[in-house]
Amino acid sequence: MSASDKNRLYRPETLTALGIIVVAAGLLVPTAALQPISALLPAAMLIGLIGLSVALLVRDQRKAGAGDIPEQVTTAPKRVLLAFLLIFGYALCVDFIGFYVSTAAVVPLVAYVFGYRNPLGLAIATVIVLVSIYTIFDLGMSREFPVGRLWKN
Amino acid sequence: MYTELLHALPNVLGFSNFAAVVIGVIAGIVVGAMPGLSATMAISVLVPFTFGLDPLVALGLMAGIYNGAMYGGAIPSVLLRIPGTPAAVATTFDGYPMAQRGEGGYALQVAVVSSSIGGIASAFALMLLAPPLSKVTLLFGPSEVFWVAVFGLCSIIFLLGGNPVKGLLSACFGVFVSVVGADPIYGSDRYTFGFLELLDGISIVILLVGLYALPPVIDLLEVPLKTDTDTNRLGTEPIWRTLPRMMRFWKTWLRSAAIGIWIGILPGAGGSMAAFMSYNEARRSSKNPDDWGKGEPEGVAASETANNADTASALIPALTLGIPGTAVAAVMLGGLLVHGLQPGPMLFRNNPDVVFGFMWQFLFGAILLVLLGGSLATNSFARLLNLPRPLLGAVIIVLMLIGVYSINGRMFDVYLMLGFGAIGYLMDKLKFPLPPVVLGLILGGFAEENLRLALRIGRGDWSVLFANTVSQVLVLLTLAVIVGPIIKRRFFKKDEARG
Repeated sequence: MSASDKNRLYRPETLTALGIIVVAAGLLVPTAALQPISALLPAAMLIGLIGLSVALLVRDQRKAGAGDIPEQVTTAPKRVLLAFLLIFGYALCVDFIGFYVSTAAVVPLVAYVFGYRNPLGLAIATVIVLVSIYTIFDLGMSREFPVGRLWKN
Repeated sequence: MYTELLHALPNVLGFSNFAAVVIGVIAGIVVGAMPGLSATMAISVLVPFTFGLDPLVALGLMAGIYNGAMYGGAIPSVLLRIPGTPAAVATTFDGYPMAQRGEGGYALQVAVVSSSIGGIASAFALMLLAPPLSKVTLLFGPSEVFWVAVFGLCSIIFLLGGNPVKGLLSACFGVFVSVVGADPIYGSDRYTFGFLELLDGISIVILLVGLYALPPVIDLLEVPLKTDTDTNRLGTEPIWRTLPRMMRFWKTWLRSAAIGIWIGILPGAGGSMAAFMSYNEARRSSKNPDDWGKGEPEGVAASETANNADTASALIPALTLGIPGTAVAAVMLGGLLVHGLQPGPMLFRNNPDVVFGFMWQFLFGAILLVLLGGSLATNSFARLLNLPRPLLGAVIIVLMLIGVYSINGRMFDVYLMLGFGAIGYLMDKLKFPLPPVVLGLILGGFAEENLRLALRIGRGDWSVLFANTVSQVLVLLTLAVIVGPIIKRRFFKKDEARG
């Protein structure tokens, strides 16, 4: 396979279409175990997803053949990846370490990493966020937040 | 027909319901003023927090946010030439040149008065048109309701513009998500993969927060935006002094309100289309079209009237048929569902106090815009542009987690929301429309339930779906919605080829 053929496969829409086809085909398997009327809508949607993805794939490859350059998904992939990692990491920390500790760490961390570096501003903002959440949700609405799986046992 | 509307008024004037609208308008202006944040995102984040609230308080907050955000988008449009919301793009054309010559305060006042007029007109349209339409839809049986759902999905896919294949993919994804959980009739598991948390299906709120709140947060963190405009000196006069100068815009206000209302009712169109159409029409009718784009206040009036006039009117098909006119209306449908209010024909019969109260809240929200967004507040709201975006992003992330966790008190929902968020981010970047996903989730289950009910009534005979005139009309409308844009595109191509 030549480099240009490889590039054609790495186009965002082509990769998306291929991804949808694989996932939808995989999800079609469990429909066989369902009652026909129960499987009707999910099977129709999955077949629809596959068919439409094939159409998307063909059209994108035609565009590639005509020399079209695909639009970039993001202008700053590292920042996007970092943002996702921090957000997913925050959810994991809340789950395992607890809500308040994780939030006290994540608010200043995210703001600092992405460019807001005023220590006093960060400290004030973190305190305001934590106190507001505690007052409104914990005291006012009696909502309980995760205390952390690590400390439960 | 309209007596129920009057009966709902005293309830809306209660302290908590009215305060909700006031808070919503202020929050909406704040959100709209922050480039990158939108009414859709704000309402998505808000919905989970409204679980324990009275439905009218929750809906008042949403109505206020929607109205406020539509005006709030004008603030960065005028001061920075960065539209706060997509609907405020046309406001930049004349608003920014006005700010450059020291008339930023006046531009914002024109924007707030015009937004208010557009919002009031839209609320009246909702009050006048929705009740009679709801009476008609009450006559619908399961097969008609099924076709209404299909028509709604098709209209939002094909009238939204852009790529219909991507629109259809989005809708299929949404409908597929709606089937996850126990089968409504047989009780068999569908795509739960052994997770008990999925047995009740996927909550619309989880999908809304993931799709609409996470991508803007990533965008906030992705692009560092520096706002170094001096927003402290706008040269703002009291609004009562500038109001007489604005009266010459009355024709523009009327025309733009009519355009905004019409565009709002059309499924798939939206505030930005209304603002552009209205701007073009106002410019065409102007005696001095050459001044437009150089700081003509009438341009700001045209754009802002239209983008607010499509707010409540977008709810006419949403409340009566369950078909939202815009993305925000789709999210609002989710908000209604959270409170056990199924949009569609039965809403007006079962919950008249709530639905008519909601209409009044839209009207009050629009009126409050002038009071809350007026001369003094304009200066304060403009200072919001200096808030650090990374800090704002971090706070929204925390709010998203709290909101989704609070639904059922489990982290599983948070992980699910983050998964939808990642999908939403990719869809957004690859230009897959998001409203069909939400509509697919709302209408998918609804369509399936009514299809199966119709087939039971017809003892498995599929012809029952085409048996009466209303169903046949709906099928024809659905076909028109699908074929119409294709024919239109062909004609345009032929015209272009002829030169």
